[in-house]
Amino acid sequence: MGALILQQTINALTVGSIYALIALGYTMVYGVLRLINFAHSELFTAGAFIGLALAGALGVAGHPTGGLLVGFITFVLIGLAGVSVEIVAYRPLRGTSRLAPMLSALGMAVVIQNAVMLIGGRRPLIYPSFLPSGVIDVFGAIITYKQITIFLVAVILMVGLELFVNRTNLGVRIRAVAENAETASLVGINPNMAISLIFFIGPGLGAVAGILYSSFYGVATFTMGFVIGMKAFTAAILGGIGSIPGAVLGGFLLGFIETFATAWMPVLSGGLIGTEYRDIFAFSVLVLILLFRPAGLLGEHVSEETMVYKSDF
Amino acid sequence: MESRARAAAPASGAAAPRKLWPGALAMLAVPVLLLIVGPHLPSYPLRILDMILLYAVLGLGLNIIVGYAGLLDLGYVAFYAIGAYSWALLASGQFDIHLPFALVLLIGASLAGLAGILLGIPVLRLRGDYLAIVTLGFGEIIRVLMNNLDVVTNGPQGIARIDEAHLFGWTLSTPDDFLYLLVAMLVVVFLFVWRIQESALGTALSAVREDQDAARGCGINTTRVKLVAFAFSAFIGGACGVVFAAMQRFVSPESFTFWESLVIVLVIVVGGLGNPFGALLGATLLILLPELLRAYADYRLLFYGMALVVIILARPRGLISRQYGPSWLMRRLGGGKC
Amino acid sequence: MRLKNMLCAAVAMAALTGAAQADILIGTAGPTTNAEALFGTTWQNGMDLAIREANAAGGVQGQKLVLVRDDDGGDPKQGTLIAQKHCDTAGMLGVVANFNSGVTIPSSDIYNRCGMPQVTNASNPKVTKAGYKNLFRPIANDLSQGSAPAEYALTKLGAKKAAIVHDKQAFGQGVAEVFRTNFTKGGGTVTSFSGIAQTDVDFSALLSSIRAENPDVVYFGGVMPAVGLFVKQARELGIKATFFAADSAFSPDFIAGAGPASEGAVVSFQAPPYDSSPALKKFAADYKAAFGEEPGPYSAYGYVEATIIIEAMKKAPAPLTRAGIVSEIAKSDFDGIVGHVAFTPEGELQKPFLFLYGVKDGKFELVK
Repeated sequence: MGALILQQTINALTVGSIYALIALGYTMVYGVLRLINFAHSELFTAGAFIGLALAGALGVAGHPTGGLLVGFITFVLIGLAGVSVEIVAYRPLRGTSRLAPMLSALGMAVVIQNAVMLIGGRRPLIYPSFLPSGVIDVFGAIITYKQITIFLVAVILMVGLELFVNRTNLGVRIRAVAENAETASLVGINPNMAISLIFFIGPGLGAVAGILYSSFYGVATFTMGFVIGMKAFTAAILGGIGSIPGAVLGGFLLGFIETFATAWMPVLSGGLIGTEYRDIFAFSVLVLILLFRPAGLLGEHVSEETMVYKSDF
Repeated sequence: MESRARAAAPASGAAAPRKLWPGALAMLAVPVLLLIVGPHLPSYPLRILDMILLYAVLGLGLNIIVGYAGLLDLGYVAFYAIGAYSWALLASGQFDIHLPFALVLLIGASLAGLAGILLGIPVLRLRGDYLAIVTLGFGEIIRVLMNNLDVVTNGPQGIARIDEAHLFGWTLSTPDDFLYLLVAMLVVVFLFVWRIQESALGTALSAVREDQDAARGCGINTTRVKLVAFAFSAFIGGACGVVFAAMQRFVSPESFTFWESLVIVLVIVVGGLGNPFGALLGATLLILLPELLRAYADYRLLFYGMALVVIILARPRGLISRQYGPSWLMRRLGGGKC
Repeated sequence: MRLKNMLCAAVAMAALTGAAQADILIGTAGPTTNAEALFGTTWQNGMDLAIREANAAGGVQGQKLVLVRDDDGGDPKQGTLIAQKHCDTAGMLGVVANFNSGVTIPSSDIYNRCGMPQVTNASNPKVTKAGYKNLFRPIANDLSQGSAPAEYALTKLGAKKAAIVHDKQAFGQGVAEVFRTNFTKGGGTVTSFSGIAQTDVDFSALLSSIRAENPDVVYFGGVMPAVGLFVKQARELGIKATFFAADSAFSPDFIAGAGPASEGAVVSFQAPPYDSSPALKKFAADYKAAFGEEPGPYSAYGYVEATIIIEAMKKAPAPLTRAGIVSEIAKSDFDGIVGHVAFTPEGELQKPFLFLYGVKDGKFELVK
């Protein structure tokens, strides 16, 4: 029993790391633009595909050190793609209405997904793992090196991001724009620059998550972004959207909810509720948390005024 | 702006048109034209037309929530699904219950309306995007339930061989039959939604949309107003679901995905939020476009996505602005002040 | 390829507007976008190949055949619109549609109304329940797909305990239920019967529970890529049971995706191996020459299904009509590349063929 719980905890941490990395992109964009960036999940997929193409081109498929290089280049490429998507599809709509950019993002998601399909093909691609292989047996639970690597990479990136946002000049600018774009521009911060930076970092992290995800599961399909994106977005909301630690917490929390629900629900309910209810479980927790903490777990308790839909539509 | 002005002076007052008939005629021309031309169309365009009308009615329903009350609902498909499964369960061999269509139309719509109220009571105090996310979650929960409650819904296998619908002795089976039904539904829902917009409720809704706190300050019971809007919207969604199930005579959870909710939101946003004409135009575009793009085979969805982005970039407030609604048309053609 | 698609569509348009043209159209609809895009596309490629070959051999009754390919996205609503489009197209004399059961059922009402010869790839037993005379299914339905593996597990492997997992989709759940029924009937015990979400990629939580049950066999009712991931993760967690999977795992992708973990897995499929007969070998080679890739899991079926219509057209009285072709399909009696084609009055294969393969040394080998 102890081994089983330990095993599930490790599984949850792995899934949670990936959710958290993707959730960061949603939460950063939302924090500044109040925009649900539907295209984010498709950039995650594109990241996995580009990573694979790069690995082939550089001849480093399957090498953990080569993986670092691939991860870095993919980060930059997808980051640039994210910046271009913002400039093309969202920036012209700033200040028009709240729904327009969201639906433009939806259109971009369709475009990116189909572009990936047309270029990368419909066949699920066998993904060479960039992660070291091997297992450790800890009290009967099996921990793979892959799981450890994913967790470590995710933690390093998240800590790095937190330091970047809080300790660097650029980070301060981002926070200033997120707080209030107009005031920020009064003190000489160019909001466009800060927003571009966010659209560089968010999708870049998503792309790295894509490579980790595909390396771990050994496969990349052009449709894989949609569902995982929706879950990562749920995670971002769970933690309090707009908050970086919130996204991390939400990601891990969702990982735990899903893993333990899948493992224990059939047992606890006497077989009545099977693992197929896992998504319901995640969403029910989300609904409940929002009902009691309308701004999510770590979301700032915003005054009603800032949440009012004044001329939103 | 315009709705703020209306909130101050109800529309039925100062700007009333001198003559009603020109505007009424112009608007009647659309359903009449549909009824004359429709049955002469070959079946394929006719079926597309049916689909357009269905989505137009869905759009009109969702508009009450999103367009008038300003609350984003990303789980509208849940109400549609409740309606569809009502017909599938109450008029098929699944439980060997065979109720008449008119009755199920009422039951399905009412169940959906009830679900709207039950959902609305706890969640309507949420604001902004949090409401959107909870409705999204609700939509997914309903779909997963339909997929998993095998004993009731037959799970992923869906319910096949649903009864043919009969309405007042008339069998609804061909695309022509459904054209008549859908045109009738469109007219009824259009008038209903337009009247809501012009009523005290509509005024209250636009007040809630513009500034909830100020609305509350003016003595509007914002929760009740939102709840009523939610219920009406869900009711219409449920009715559409019943008709959809009667048209397909088959339901399965794959018809009620999150993507469908997004399509309905797209219908009203592309057409023009808060404008009944917008829902019509938006539905036409969003249903017709993918069919027209069939010639591009592999590139179809790529072009579809691009077209969406281009349309939204070109008209971020929708193809027809909020103010050019039916009331504007009445005034314009009736010689009143615009 | 692309040009050809556009050409096909253009021809369909011309037919719609009633322009006189001498080509015979065969329509198809399947998911060429969304999650099942690979299956739908390679399936349609198989038909394309059959039609190219027929045209190279001089066409049918002096006329050229054209395949009109459509994408239904696996969505019933789109499926019915395409069905009506095909019905309305004057030169359209047969369809291979649809790929999914959930799309075939509502679409078959429409095809039936216009008397369209319809050959389907949907395996759900319900598909043929309406009793439509124009609907034919040349593949084994889910009933045989689930029962043969159960029998094999019980008698050949001597299995006592089975854990069953399915993806909560019409196909996956259907075969899993049949497996459960047959396994229990044969005296086996089912330790757990779990559904997963279709899009799941992480089964570690479920697998940890299954490991504790210690089953002899694990049956997975679902499609690629989930099945590959499932088997791989199960082996990583140290589950020793024999894996059983349904038809879509019969693909090199499964072995490549699951890696060494696929060793010993048993997969049921409706066709003999591509290298088992000269006809299939030739098909695989021709396919590769035409489309530049290996055939997909359903390509051979697409080929056979189109062939059934073409063969019927060759025999039907001139001028060709939909009704004439329907009655010829009903009389089908020939050896297709995967087996003998002859239908029961219900439109099912008289002798549905099903083969079990085991993975050995990274290759599929026929075990039964």
